[in-house]
Amino acid sequence: MRTGFKLHRAHYGWIEVFITIILVLFALTVIVPMCLPLLFVFKTQLEYSYDPWSLPKHITVKNFLEAWDAIKIGEGLANTLLVSLGVVVLAVPCAALAGYVFARYHSKVTEVLFYAILVCYFIPIQMVLIPLYKFNIKLGLSNTLLGLILPMAAFNIPFWVLIYRSFFHTLPKDLGDAACIDGAGHATTFFKIMLPLASPATTLALLLIFIAAWSDYFLSLIMLNDQKLFTMQLRVSQFLNAYGVDRMPRYAAAAIISMSPTVILYIIGHKWVIKGTLAGALKE
Amino acid sequence: MKKFTLVCLALVLVPLMAFAQGQSDTAAKESGPVTLTIWGRDIPDTAADHIYVHDLIEGFQKANPDIKLEYIPLGDPGLADKTKITMAAGVDQLPEIVQSWGGSVMGGYADAGRLLDLTSELASIPGSKAASDAMSWKGKTYGVAPFFAVAGIFLNEDIFARNGLKAPTTIVEMEAVCDTLLAKGIQPFACGAKDKWPALAMYMYLVNRYGGNAFDRAQARTLSFADDAFVNAAKTYQMWVKKGYFGTKPLGEAYGDAQQQMAIGKAAMMVTGSWMCSQFSNKEFTDQKIGFYAFPVVTGGVGKVTDVMGMTDIGFFATKNAEAKKDAVVRFFKYAMSVEACASEPGRICAVPGVPAKAELTGMASKVFAASQSVQFWWDQDLPPAVTSPLNDTIQSFFLPNSDVASSLKAFEELVIDEMGPVKK
Amino acid sequence: MVQSIQIFDPIKTKKTAKRNRAIFVSLCIFPSLLFLVMFMYYPIVETFRLSFMKSSGLGQDRFIGLDNYRKLFVSEEFRAGLVHVLTWAFWSIVIQLPLAFFIAFSLTFYVNRVSKPMRAIYYMANIMPSAITAMLGKFVFSPNNGILNNLGNQFGWDWLSNMDFLGSERLAFWSVFAVATWAYTGFPIIYLMARIEQMPKEFKEAAELDGVTGWKYAWYILLPNLVYPLRILAVLCTIGSLKLFDLPYMMTTGGPGHATVTLGISLYRQGFINWQYGRASAIGVIIFLLSLIFTIIQFSGKKEAA
Repeated sequence: MRTGFKLHRAHYGWIEVFITIILVLFALTVIVPMCLPLLFVFKTQLEYSYDPWSLPKHITVKNFLEAWDAIKIGEGLANTLLVSLGVVVLAVPCAALAGYVFARYHSKVTEVLFYAILVCYFIPIQMVLIPLYKFNIKLGLSNTLLGLILPMAAFNIPFWVLIYRSFFHTLPKDLGDAACIDGAGHATTFFKIMLPLASPATTLALLLIFIAAWSDYFLSLIMLNDQKLFTMQLRVSQFLNAYGVDRMPRYAAAAIISMSPTVILYIIGHKWVIKGTLAGALKE
Repeated sequence: MKKFTLVCLALVLVPLMAFAQGQSDTAAKESGPVTLTIWGRDIPDTAADHIYVHDLIEGFQKANPDIKLEYIPLGDPGLADKTKITMAAGVDQLPEIVQSWGGSVMGGYADAGRLLDLTSELASIPGSKAASDAMSWKGKTYGVAPFFAVAGIFLNEDIFARNGLKAPTTIVEMEAVCDTLLAKGIQPFACGAKDKWPALAMYMYLVNRYGGNAFDRAQARTLSFADDAFVNAAKTYQMWVKKGYFGTKPLGEAYGDAQQQMAIGKAAMMVTGSWMCSQFSNKEFTDQKIGFYAFPVVTGGVGKVTDVMGMTDIGFFATKNAEAKKDAVVRFFKYAMSVEACASEPGRICAVPGVPAKAELTGMASKVFAASQSVQFWWDQDLPPAVTSPLNDTIQSFFLPNSDVASSLKAFEELVIDEMGPVKK
Repeated sequence: MVQSIQIFDPIKTKKTAKRNRAIFVSLCIFPSLLFLVMFMYYPIVETFRLSFMKSSGLGQDRFIGLDNYRKLFVSEEFRAGLVHVLTWAFWSIVIQLPLAFFIAFSLTFYVNRVSKPMRAIYYMANIMPSAITAMLGKFVFSPNNGILNNLGNQFGWDWLSNMDFLGSERLAFWSVFAVATWAYTGFPIIYLMARIEQMPKEFKEAAELDGVTGWKYAWYILLPNLVYPLRILAVLCTIGSLKLFDLPYMMTTGGPGHATVTLGISLYRQGFINWQYGRASAIGVIIFLLSLIFTIIQFSGKKEAA
């Protein structure tokens, strides 16, 4: 496949160059706004107020130092990891299994069940918070990490059932049937043949659910009461919310610090996604 | 198939097994020394506007080693949202103490039976009446407010001196000042109308100066919010907006932007609460000299210069969950209202007698508060929550180029009728 | 299963096969269903129940029939919100999806040294928490510090420096929409890319042998094969718009006037600020029902020939 690309590279010529330029321009519109804060996080508050967009005359690292001190990055890291991993471990297998069945085992019953799961995606999160919190209290789960993990997994499942369903949907139908005739059971067919073919979906799900759980704020804020249980995102928000956007350079410095773990995580994870998609394709 | 069944079982069982653990966690909480959990807004660091909370926590802990304080800062929308949801779920999960502005929001919690009545316990604490009223609801006191804020005009003394202007004492003078400033290319008022609530401060004063106690009467349902007193004030407000007193993009400017316009001398005045004193006297925040004055009066009008608008700056109430720890809570409240705890606060008006203002600007604001004869609680803290965000919407609509203020106010009045009943004849 | 191999009665085998299938299907669906029944169904039922109540969320609920709904449909804020989310859904399908398709196609078709890092970049905006996205949006659009107005001042372009991106009723919606496009197009791109990667490689090879390349390949070969994924994205765009809350709320609080109110903002304000929990529930129910209707319409069209 890779050699195929190289063989045909010459055909694309200037169109490829043109499109690549457009892509780079689009990519710049994505990147440049993220870099805007760099123009002023090194300024004092007053310098920023007078002239936010000029190049800084002298670099002041005070904003960063203060923000760094206050944020104490890494505090709550264990909680965050536990929550993110818990959500991934619960949500991804559930969604993959259900998505597979909905894509390959059509019947009236599965159709109804599919909608029964999908409807949970239709309700806005602000709406479910109060009943969910009350329910957690009844279960004795309020103010525990588990009481955060379970609903968060539940929030992620419907969306990824839909996505998994769409991925399994397009796999050639005879593939699974052939395996079945060969005497492989349903579970074997799923694990040995179908799941590897849907690995782009799995890598997406793993990465995106992990990042979503990692950066969750609202649900964690409601479900956790004890500072000991607070996740990293919650601790960061304690700082960001207390200073507010009115003290911009410092706020932006804090925002940059708080975002860095997510970005690093993403960069590491993304390489792995690209690898995953290629691996899935090669097996074919 | 068997392996697969096991996987499915595990997916179900793992969470179930962890339930037991979760339940044992909650049981362990009750023993040991008395713990007071406090949900607050600011992080307790030593920044100028957080220093009070910092000193309060540290000082109290030092003086009362038998009580363990668990202070959890939750920030701006965080504190309100979390409190609301936890209150909705009942009493058990609540902390003992919550930071609050009091008023109708606290009143709603009190009505629902979520708060601890401390009327007799707190009666002996000296402090301003306006502040303790703010933390009371239907005759019962639920907490303390060591700091109180009043609304007035922050104005840039340098700009005024440079242009030979002086602080206006009447509305006519104020208009003349604005026209002079406009001619010089200086934005007369910074407001922050994009965030809606900042626009309320000036409107409350305009209604008071034109219509006296119109708001009191409207709240008591003896006057309509669409009455002339409200409409005329709104028309004045709108006229000022149209003249450009609030700059060319008043609705794009957030409260933070407005503060910044003041800080760099691009805007000359700002009508807002005295909580801005600490920022406006902070050399890192502004290099301008800024003063604080009472809102001017209408010559021959009903409202007096001693009628001021105010609200809680920092306050706390106790929840029903603190019933068993009443003594500890009262000790905390008494400490919060002590001279010792309040001494280092630079920028807020202290409700405790005997605490001098540290900054000159805070002193000017304190003087306005001390001279006041009647304090009207900030409207959006006084009206029931159901109508407060529509109120702020209505006031923001005065800034819209084609809005008809009379019909906006009428729409608001209809909403008020829904919630608070029609005007009694 | 072990038994079914040993017994060679054809009727029984068929029965066992059917039973096995049923067991497999239920085992697969059960964990998801259990989660959702436990954690989502109760809140959904509660939302429906409360939508017929006068409720502050603090107890003392009172049954008032359809009053909440009646009040909503005469309220200007709600109607504005409804119009905005439908417009929003329309434009996000019309603008974001073709854009995503173009980028996903180009990144997977023209694989070169530049396109690889760009795969990572395009999704980057999506991992920012909305608070940060809103902050970045304000750097671009706010009147005093915003970079656009400042550029206008710098170069003396009055048309640009006079634009009130967040404060004028005409522009605010589009400013927020632009930020949303910036932040949310990442998912369609990454999803379509994964779908394209998942396609059999013979597609591309066969096309290249026939001399079908570039946009012809995208239009005649890729697009017909991506109808189903695009339909799913359209559903997600629609539901996302119906639930849209944090980005517009943090950028404009729904203002100026009602220019950027969404159903999500209206719901939050009613429930958390106005303490009209019953009315907020009614909005929740409306969002729910609209999502259901749009999803059924989208999925009931002719099924993809996979």
